[in-house]
Amino acid sequence: MPQTSVIDPISRIEGHLRIEMSVEDNKVIDAHVSGGLFRGLELIVQGRTPTDAAYIAQRVCGVCPVSHGHTSSYAAEAAYGITIPNGARLIRNMVECAQFLHSHILWFYNLYALDFVNPINALSADVAGAYDLAHAAGTGVSDFGAVAKRLSAFAENGQLSIFSGNWFDATVDGQRAYKLPPELDLIATTHYLEGLQYQAKASQVAALLGGKMPHVMTSLPGGTTYMPDEEKLDDVLYRAIAIRDWVQNTMVPDTLAIAPYYLDEIIKDGKWTGAGPGRFAAWGVFDRRTMDPLDRYLPAGMIDDQLNLTAPDESKILEYIDHSYYNGTGGLNPRQGETDPNYTDYDINGRYTWSKAPRYDGKSYEVGGVSRMLVAYLRGVPEVQGYVQQLTSFLAAQAPAVFANASLADVVHAVDTTLGRAAIRNYETLYVANLLVDLTKELIEAVKSGDAATYVDHPNTTGEGAGMWEAPRGALYHYEKVEKDRITKYQAIVPSTWNISPRDADGNPGPMEEALIGLTVDDVEKPIEALRVVHSFDPCIACAIHVTEPKTGTVFNTVTNPWGVR
Amino acid sequence: MAHRAAYREAHPLYTVISHWINLVCMLTLIFSGFYIHYPFYPGAMSVMRGLHVAMGFIILINCIVRIIASFFIKTAQLEGTREVDTEIKNWVPQKINRHQLIPMVKYYLFAKKAHPIVNKFNPMQKISYVLIPFLILFMGYTGLCLWAPTQTMGVFQAGIELFGGLPGVRVLHYIFMWVFIAFMIIHVYLAIAEDSALVGLMFLWREHEGYVSDPKTGEIVGYDDLSDKAPKTAAGESN
Amino acid sequence: MTVGVGTTTTFAEQLEERGVSRRTFLKFCGAIAVMVGLSETQAPKVAQALEEGTASGKLQPVVWLELASCSGCTESLAQAQTPDVATIVLELISLNYSETLSAAAGWSLEQARKDTIAQGNYLCVIEGAVTRGWDGNGLRIAGEKGTDIVSETCRDAVAVIAAGSCAVDGGWVAAYPNPSNACGVKEYLTSQGITTPVINLPACPCNPEWIVAVLVDYLLMDRLPELDSKGMPTLIYGESIHDNCQRRGHFENGEFVYQFGSVEEQKGYCLYAMGCKGPQTYSHCPVTRWNDKTSWCVEAGAPCIGCASADPGRTEHNWVDLMTPFLKRHRDMRIGDKHFQALPIAAGVAGVIAVAVGIHAIGMKANGRFAGPPIERIKEYDAKKAKAAGQEVDETPITKPEALEMEKQREAGEKGGDE
Repeated sequence: MPQTSVIDPISRIEGHLRIEMSVEDNKVIDAHVSGGLFRGLELIVQGRTPTDAAYIAQRVCGVCPVSHGHTSSYAAEAAYGITIPNGARLIRNMVECAQFLHSHILWFYNLYALDFVNPINALSADVAGAYDLAHAAGTGVSDFGAVAKRLSAFAENGQLSIFSGNWFDATVDGQRAYKLPPELDLIATTHYLEGLQYQAKASQVAALLGGKMPHVMTSLPGGTTYMPDEEKLDDVLYRAIAIRDWVQNTMVPDTLAIAPYYLDEIIKDGKWTGAGPGRFAAWGVFDRRTMDPLDRYLPAGMIDDQLNLTAPDESKILEYIDHSYYNGTGGLNPRQGETDPNYTDYDINGRYTWSKAPRYDGKSYEVGGVSRMLVAYLRGVPEVQGYVQQLTSFLAAQAPAVFANASLADVVHAVDTTLGRAAIRNYETLYVANLLVDLTKELIEAVKSGDAATYVDHPNTTGEGAGMWEAPRGALYHYEKVEKDRITKYQAIVPSTWNISPRDADGNPGPMEEALIGLTVDDVEKPIEALRVVHSFDPCIACAIHVTEPKTGTVFNTVTNPWGVR
Repeated sequence: MAHRAAYREAHPLYTVISHWINLVCMLTLIFSGFYIHYPFYPGAMSVMRGLHVAMGFIILINCIVRIIASFFIKTAQLEGTREVDTEIKNWVPQKINRHQLIPMVKYYLFAKKAHPIVNKFNPMQKISYVLIPFLILFMGYTGLCLWAPTQTMGVFQAGIELFGGLPGVRVLHYIFMWVFIAFMIIHVYLAIAEDSALVGLMFLWREHEGYVSDPKTGEIVGYDDLSDKAPKTAAGESN
Repeated sequence: MTVGVGTTTTFAEQLEERGVSRRTFLKFCGAIAVMVGLSETQAPKVAQALEEGTASGKLQPVVWLELASCSGCTESLAQAQTPDVATIVLELISLNYSETLSAAAGWSLEQARKDTIAQGNYLCVIEGAVTRGWDGNGLRIAGEKGTDIVSETCRDAVAVIAAGSCAVDGGWVAAYPNPSNACGVKEYLTSQGITTPVINLPACPCNPEWIVAVLVDYLLMDRLPELDSKGMPTLIYGESIHDNCQRRGHFENGEFVYQFGSVEEQKGYCLYAMGCKGPQTYSHCPVTRWNDKTSWCVEAGAPCIGCASADPGRTEHNWVDLMTPFLKRHRDMRIGDKHFQALPIAAGVAGVIAVAVGIHAIGMKANGRFAGPPIERIKEYDAKKAKAAGQEVDETPITKPEALEMEKQREAGEKGGDE
């Protein structure tokens, strides 16, 4: 008889998420990812202006507001038939970079790392040993003694604060789930604290260019409101360089230092851990002068099961609602999409989530850092090819049996795993950190040469258009129809909707469900293996269900029509 | 054809001055208000705001004084007569005015050929003139809700909460300005259409010849060409 | 400098270990002192309180609930720099429950919340709106109704800090048509008869320094900050953004930005004409600024969109409905689902009146009324009465010769009377 294992709420993600798994003989045989909190962005922006929508759309997600603002602006610009000038392009890219850095650093150190790093264990660390280990791993060295003291003061106090109710005692295969030596835990905890500083620094870059972060203020349909002066650009540049150096010298080495202890999270018993559907989608992010999605710094592309790369085709996107709380069945293109929520009881065999199920050409696709990096790799972005090469040689050194003569397919499989997603995303962080420095210099040059206009007006006020861009968590799509500068229709498909999507009409699971099914779970009370899989997708639920936000319980007895409420 | 005589008793000097104040304030307020709403040319914001606040206070005080004064001053209740009564009675609709309403409406709709016999202010005029002070007081109140120094006072905070926050008050203040504009269009037009001689009386305090009315019934009992050197006294006219 | 006694390090020492000098620490204390309404000379007292607070081993337990939120306020807290978020959660408070930051997940996280409630003396911070739709089922955490979790957690809390506009009055989630029937925490608690004091800190997201200031105020002064009638700290929400704006001088001078990316924008002129909501929004943004004081909206050339505007008593006064369209001087009015601006309607009505007047004037002219219309001989009302009484009534209008004749007779009569 299968046991049911539930994690609700999933913490250290953005928003509220529940997973429910059937576990038999320590194997997950079925998984359902679910949630639902109705907020109704699409309905709220109705009748308002595209500029209002760009500002409001940001507020569906406090982690990736910039991406929503930009994508909404791109949709409006497509509707108006305008293209933003060079200065606006650069500033938007830079703010987006800053947000990526902020989000990636925060996610890896402060949200995801606690699945692998046990700060309490760091209390028994030998400080001198930590220095040696850090030197050996080639990672950032800072005052480990001070952190050890700080931790012991914290521990002596006896209040656990954010570590209350932790899972540090969880087990995997009958052994401790947290496998790092105390010294490495101390190093990682020190960098956890440093990570907080650097994600804040990245946000400061966004604030310098965007007024404040979260929810920047300067990007709106038509471009950006202003061109920062020299003083501000200087502030941006020195922060960009500091972040780049830290990512290069601390974040990437940390990943490689931790990975050997957790190779099971990449491949275990010849099986890829937490593998997704093996299909990857990226709409592309960071425009070059050409403003062509296929030519972006991280370009657009679809990778199918056979690793064929194609350009995304908006018309092939269908959103299914057969297993979601909406009236109707089947799939619709978002341009025809309807949002007619009808709340019914939570039933994993029927409708069980507020998330719709987007499919491309009828198939589920994984989105996120791994997809972007793989598309960039296949499109031949030199830096990304270098990073993938580095990662492959690292894996070959760690697990020669598997990776000695790794094929492209092996590499793709390796990064599409619980730990692989983090590794490739941390390399992406380095790519973006370098990009931010380059873009800052490019902007300074553009200002000097007078090619830094920031805004174009839009004489045309009627039309329809879609913005396709990337949030840190993956492919982001906003569509709007505008009549006389008022929105008459709005739809969005956000990254986590792809990843946490439920079954489609044919009963095929979504990427995260697929990653969970087949997973080994040691302890159904504290299924940390599953938690790691979920965190590896960095789900961002608030925006995943922009109309709704998942926070579903097991049984919903009360059914009320939302339109009857007011 | 002719109008009824325009006598100074209809609009004594005080009301003429008060009307002048209203006119100047209103025009200034509307212009500076439009500017504050959207500064359509640069450079004058502090001047416009100063003007707007000053004129706002003046029209508010003028309005209040005018209301109080109306209980004391005497004005003619009819055109074409020098017989006077307390102003407030001539301002606020009286029982006797009721039957004047329908003929007046019919007249303006061209359903009646002859101009009805009405008081100095016909019923519609009276109703609108009664509403105007309320409008001014409302504009004063919402204006003070929006004015920074008074904004935080409890009495204005209450209004702000009632009217939908400062943005709501701002919209109301704006919309009711358009009510004033609409009123002014109609007011100016009807004043001229009714009797342009009244314009001379109201602005320049200049009398004009015309029919003489019976102060009791309002019926026309004669014609005054203002040829008498000595102006007729009110007492002298009644018989 | 003060040296910690015994094994426990003082707060200042801990900071020093991380390269924060005593001088910087006192500067931070001074900033906090000002924020919580003390004089800057009280900085040593703040320092003492912070040091004693950490050395005594009693951190203030805090439960941070996320409701219908975007996690932006948690994200915002992570940007706090005076002190930073690590110091806050390790040395200032014991953050026992936070969906975004807690190491725990699932039932053990819920257990941490329940334990904290059982022990009492905790503060509750709430971000996100309360969604009342579906009888509170629109939001469920760990199999419980979101609304029940709010009641359960807030009932015994020392105070509730509603961080961010959504928690204060529903924020954008409550904007028309308010699809989830969202409202603020205060409104919900009042409806449940829960009287725990609520400190409202609107803004989207909430400025982290304000949350820290309120926390420190409570920890230091052992009291809640002075609140206005809306439950907002007067020191933070007492002055308008316009009053403290760095571009205020340009406003007074009448120097405005009329287009983004223009020369005026480069000169840093006032954004009033671009629809800036600074004059109608009360908050300390221009003083506190954002992200370690690096910038704030207007400094970055972006008009204020009034996100700190909130009314806990009136969900329909959420900032989005009050402030949109953000770049227009006026908020929208709305009839049904139709949003519209006041100007076209008002000017349209005035225009119709003007046209009607013009047409009427043509009619008046055609009827020769400008020169003076014929005037009733007798009032319609009197005429009707007289006719009803069987009298004969002359209903022809009076003419000028007739009136002149009457005048002659009247004058003659007067003279006759005199003689």
